[in-house]
Amino acid sequence: MTYLGQIYAIVWKDLLLELRTRERIAAMGAFAVLAGILFNYSMDQTVVRAQDIAAGLIWMTLVFGGLLGIGRTFHLEAQDGAFQGVLTSPAPKDAVYIGKVAANFVLLYLVALLVVGVFTLFFGLDLGEHPGMLALALALGSLGFVALGTLFSAVSSGTHMGETLLPILVFPLLVPMVIYGVSATGRLLAGRPVADIVGNLRMLGAFAVLALGVGAVLFRFVVEE
Amino acid sequence: MQSAVTPQAPAVARGAPPVLSARGLTREYGVVVAVDGIDLELDAGDFLTVFGPNGAGKTTLLSLLGGRLKPTRGEVWVGGERLAFSDTAWRARIGVLSHQSFLYAHLTVAENLRFFGKLFGLTDLNERIPDRLEQVGLANRSDVLARQLSHGMRQRAALARALLHDPELVLLDEPYTGLDPHAASVLRGVLSSLKDGRRTVVMVTHNLTQGLELANRLAIQVRGRFGWYGERDAVEPETFEHFYHHVVEAGNA
Repeated sequence: MTYLGQIYAIVWKDLLLELRTRERIAAMGAFAVLAGILFNYSMDQTVVRAQDIAAGLIWMTLVFGGLLGIGRTFHLEAQDGAFQGVLTSPAPKDAVYIGKVAANFVLLYLVALLVVGVFTLFFGLDLGEHPGMLALALALGSLGFVALGTLFSAVSSGTHMGETLLPILVFPLLVPMVIYGVSATGRLLAGRPVADIVGNLRMLGAFAVLALGVGAVLFRFVVEE
Repeated sequence: MQSAVTPQAPAVARGAPPVLSARGLTREYGVVVAVDGIDLELDAGDFLTVFGPNGAGKTTLLSLLGGRLKPTRGEVWVGGERLAFSDTAWRARIGVLSHQSFLYAHLTVAENLRFFGKLFGLTDLNERIPDRLEQVGLANRSDVLARQLSHGMRQRAALARALLHDPELVLLDEPYTGLDPHAASVLRGVLSSLKDGRRTVVMVTHNLTQGLELANRLAIQVRGRFGWYGERDAVEPETFEHFYHHVVEAGNA
C-alpha cells in the first residue's frame, strides 16, 4: 500500500503543481491550437484530402507539442532543491518515476484529445466508426512517449543544454511509436476495420511497456549521484 | 587545550549500537578527494558540529552520512544497520535540513508536509502536521504557499518537513545561511529542541559562533579529513577561533 501511496503522492503533487502554475499544459495546448490553425491555412483541401494527411499531422503536433511540456518535467523540481527532498525520502526511485510518468500521461493525453479536437474542427475530420480505438491508439502512444520523455527529461535537466538536448535524445527513439501511431490513426480515419489496426495497437502497447520497464530500471541511475 | 577523541569502530559488543557510525568514509571525484577516510561514532543525544573552510568537503560528508551519495570507500551505519543503496527503507530514520528548503514553492506548507509525509509512508498526518508546525512556530501559516514565506519561515517549514517522520538522525547543512539575526535566533531555538536525548544531530557550518552553541561534539574538517575531532567541553569559546585557524592552516600545510 505504501508503494502505491508513494506513486499517488507524486501524481497528486505534480498535477496540483500544474493546476497552480499551468506552465506546461498552457505551452502544449497553445502549440496544438496554433499548429491546427497553421496547417488549416497552409493546405488546399480541394487538392489534398484531410483524411489522407491528418494522421501524420496529428502525431507530429502531439510529439513536438508534447516535448514542450515533458521537457519541463523537472523544472519546478529544481527550485529550492525540492527534488532533493524527494530523493532523501524512502520512496523507491521506480515509484517516483512511475508517479511522474502517470502525471505526465494525464497531461499529454489531454493534449492529444485537444489535438484531435482541433483537427476535427479545422479539417472537418470524420473520426471513423471506431473513435474508441483512436482514443486507445493515442493513449498507448502517449504512454510510450511520456515513459521515454520523463526519463530523458531527467537526463537533460542536469545538463547545460537542457531542453535543447531532449529532442536530440528522444526523437530517434520515438520513431517506432510514431510509425505505428500514424499507421493506426490513418487506417482508422480511412474507415478500415478494427482487425486492420490490432497489430499496430499491439506494437504501440509493446513499445509503451518496454519504455516503462527500461525507464523504471534506469531512472535511479539518472537521478542518483 | 584539546585532546583528540579517537573515533571508535561501530560497536557491536555494546548493548545498543551507536545511532550513527562511519568507518574510513571516503568520496573521490576523479583525482579530487572530497572526503578522506573519516571515522566517527555518535550516540543518541549527541550533537556534532563539523566546521571547516569552503571546499573542505563538509556538505559531501553530510551527503554520505545521509546516504544521498555513495562512498568511494568506507561504510556508514545507522542504528546498527549498514546503509545499502539498493534499499531505501533506512531513509525513514534520517531527516535532512539544507540551506535549500526542499519545499515546492507552489504548494502550501501543509500540502508540502502532506506530500513528504506520504513519501515516508506516514498515516497519521492529520495529527502529525499541526504538531510539527506548532513545534516550529508556524501553526498559523499552514495554508500559506511556500513561496510566500520569508526565508526564515521557509527554513522553519523545512525543519518541520525534516522532522515530520520523527527521525533518530538529523543532518543539518548550513541551516543558518541567509537568515537575519532574528530569524537565526528563532531557528536556533527550534534546533535546541532537538537536544531531547533521543536524536542524534550532525550540523555542518563555517559559522563558529552558531556552531558552538548547541554542540556537545566538534570536528574541524580540512581538505576532506578531520583535522581535529573532540568534545565541546575541551575547547574554550574565547580561544576557539584561534584554534580553528591553527587547525585549518596545519591541515592545508
